[in-house]
Amino acid sequence: MRCSDVEAFWDEMREGGEPRSEHVLAHLRRCRTCQEAFEQCEGVAYCLNCLPVVEPPKSLVPRILEHIASMRTRTRGPAGTDDVARINSPLGDLIVAWRPSGITFVGLVRGGDADAARERVERRLRRPLRDAAPPQWVVDAVDRFFKTWQVDMARVDISGLSDFEQAALRKAAQIPPGEVRSYGWIAREIGHPLAARAVGQAMARNPVALLFPCHRVVDASGALHNYGYGIEVKARLLRMEGYLKSGG
Amino acid sequence: MVPQARTAERKAAASAPTTLRSAESVPSVERFERIVDDYQRRLYGFALRMTGNREDAEEIVQDAFVRAFRALGKMTEEQRTELRLQPWLYTITLNVTRNRLRSKRPTNVALDALADPDALLNNTQEGPEQPEQIVERGTDLALVEQALLQLPMHLRAAATLRFIEGRSHPEIAEILNQPIGTVKSHVHRAVRILRRILGPQVGRIAPTEEPANAV
Repeated sequence: MRCSDVEAFWDEMREGGEPRSEHVLAHLRRCRTCQEAFEQCEGVAYCLNCLPVVEPPKSLVPRILEHIASMRTRTRGPAGTDDVARINSPLGDLIVAWRPSGITFVGLVRGGDADAARERVERRLRRPLRDAAPPQWVVDAVDRFFKTWQVDMARVDISGLSDFEQAALRKAAQIPPGEVRSYGWIAREIGHPLAARAVGQAMARNPVALLFPCHRVVDASGALHNYGYGIEVKARLLRMEGYLKSGG
Repeated sequence: MVPQARTAERKAAASAPTTLRSAESVPSVERFERIVDDYQRRLYGFALRMTGNREDAEEIVQDAFVRAFRALGKMTEEQRTELRLQPWLYTITLNVTRNRLRSKRPTNVALDALADPDALLNNTQEGPEQPEQIVERGTDLALVEQALLQLPMHLRAAATLRFIEGRSHPEIAEILNQPIGTVKSHVHRAVRILRRILGPQVGRIAPTEEPANAV
């Protein structure tokens, strides 16, 4: 047995049951270099094993459980079919779904694949869609957003979301145009101060982009953090609303 | 004062879930709180060793549990019965860790350290050893922590699971979804690099007795 082979056996010898251990031991008795190598390996393992077990902070479990609880209350959402259409906007083509009760989905159409965009909406709403011409109230609601950055909440329907998600999005809708708030701010405001990450997730799952302005929610540090349609779009929107200076 | 190794303690804590399962022990979203309670310490410790950063570790563990909760909700009863919870949770935690570290910073550090392990050693003070001093011991362990973080991620994962979490080769193979041979070779490479980085320190921290199976 050669020195280069021996070292590779060190970890297996620790486990026991290595069939070639007799040969390895015989080599070790003769070879001081390999003996030292084994001792050093043992030293490394020992050092790693000595690293202290660090306790997680007490707040970790409550925070996780709060997050999980926010996911539990997700309801099935209304049955039936939503209507869907593409509407032109200053930000590019939007795909918009609605029911008589209100607008249920707004998203940017990325790329040219209309079918893929439609499928994404169907998956998100978990309801079939029917192509239709948008009624005037839908067109007006979208127009109004791009003119005033305000939304008539009576025109939006997010009843398919969990209570937590609805609360988080409604709170986001209270952020005035031209301003931003943090995920933690929303969490505190809706009475779940530990659930900042769950708020982040609710924003990420926002089915009615723009109208529920999840783009106005940013990191505690003020960094834009993330956006479903890309951070550039988030920055562009905030510029349009007057929060970021152009070029900022 | 020589720091006490903790494998036994860790193993005892780790052996809770068994292969025999009653209906109550099949993992489910209904009893998810229990899973969080049982595994949060272990996953936090793992994420902390992988990242070296408490804040990262906390967020990683939270995200990992959220992912696990979602995935469990989509599984059939049969899938859940067959699920090996502990390795599965480690795997999820590792994936979240990878994504997070990848998006956070490039890993130039690791390459630098491999090229020049002396750079790390130069930071440590030479001079007579005062093993009784806890401060000194703290310094040494900090050095070990740092050395581990210098490893490329796949070697760090192998070494952490093997020597800190006390997992067996087959368990690590399952967690990393790699052949056992690959796991052994990664563990081996990790130890070689750590020996180079820690060289002189290893002797200082290691116990004075001969390792039981060395000669």
